Amino acid sequence: MSELGKNRVPLQTRQVLLLLGSLLLAACGVNNISVVGSYPQPNVNKLPLSIGVFYDDELRNHTYVEYTDMGQEEYRISSGETHIELFNSILPSMFERVVLLESPEAATSAGIDAVFSPSIEEFQLALPQKTQLDVFEVWLKYNMRLVTPDGGYIADWVLTAYGKTTKETLRSTEAGINGATVAALRDLASNFTLGFTSIPDVRDWLVSR
Amino acid sequence: MKTIGLCAEFKSCQGKRLFCLLPVLILAACTTTTIDEFRQGETGIESHESVVLLGRRQGSTYETRAEFVECVGNRMSSGADSIRVVPEQEFVDAMFPWFEPRTAPVHSEDMQTLMAQQQVAEKISEYGIRYIVWLDGQTETSNRIGSISCTIGPGGGGCFGFGSWEDDSNFEARVWDVNSLVNVGTISADASGQSYMPAIVIPIPLIARVEANACSSLASQLKQFVYGN
Repeated sequence: MSELGKNRVPLQTRQVLLLLGSLLLAACGVNNISVVGSYPQPNVNKLPLSIGVFYDDELRNHTYVEYTDMGQEEYRISSGETHIELFNSILPSMFERVVLLESPEAATSAGIDAVFSPSIEEFQLALPQKTQLDVFEVWLKYNMRLVTPDGGYIADWVLTAYGKTTKETLRSTEAGINGATVAALRDLASNFTLGFTSIPDVRDWLVSR
Repeated sequence: MKTIGLCAEFKSCQGKRLFCLLPVLILAACTTTTIDEFRQGETGIESHESVVLLGRRQGSTYETRAEFVECVGNRMSSGADSIRVVPEQEFVDAMFPWFEPRTAPVHSEDMQTLMAQQQVAEKISEYGIRYIVWLDGQTETSNRIGSISCTIGPGGGGCFGFGSWEDDSNFEARVWDVNSLVNVGTISADASGQSYMPAIVIPIPLIARVEANACSSLASQLKQFVYGN
């Protein structure tokens, strides 16, 4: 039994111990980042096409894991939702009509000209603490696929995107990763919207219609 | 070319003035700013017209900080001879995808192709943009010397030592006239300053406000340039 107020750990020491404990716990766990961004609608001429869009589960639930040098999970970056948000924002500005498809099979009865399905092939992240540069960088590699409603080939092309944000004194790593990912997605959107009709197979298909 | 030395202003201080400026002196070390202007065309702006300042972000090793662009914009849009400045992010979003890092026009000649796009021309007209000002540059820190060590114990804590570093800001502003679709001039601002951090129990920062001085000097010169003075 101890008398109240005696043999107690001083308040300052307890605060320091609490802080150290929190830091230790934070150092051990993986940081979950859910990428959040807003994407403006592009100012481009709409193509007179009715397009069905299909997002597969891999894109919808896309998660990238960055590991430490010791092979432990360091950052788990979920970007599926923001990918969908991006395409849902840009496609209606590019085409006269956009139909969201639950499955590729639903295309035949949707009254559309083609089915567009994007997929992520690669997601790369470079952190300032590893590269010794003052920037967070994200590279994305996409595979874009355009097929006829019955699954016939129209076009299949690779699109890469890059985004970076500078390291700021009061900016957290999470905010830096989020900023670089959103910048990469904007880069993707700008190249996709401005370059869509320049893809040789897409151009040939448009001419043949 | 115009050179502004912050220290020179302080040397004229006497008596009470110097006493009043002491806290400022503690926080601000010496800075020298040099402004260069190269005019290639006539300028002028009406009250209904506006300017947009955009940071160049094509470089692989650096990018013009949005905070610097905002700082110049805020300075230009304040004061008696203020100019309407469209915020950078608002403009870039409204013009999407034409002013993204990889799609933005690099040369003034590219503006002709860009303005041929109906949506682009309409948006620029909607905002009343007369000049597009491209800001390009960065602030680099070099010559870091000294060290400060801090200790903390049951009886308290404190720091002892001395640190010093040099900041160099190099920024360039290219002014494109949207009416004539040409580059009408270039203004460059170079600022440098030495910062000191002596620490006797507590660190005392004597920070050279290099980027802030580059910002205010560049904004003042840009205002004069745009008005055609």
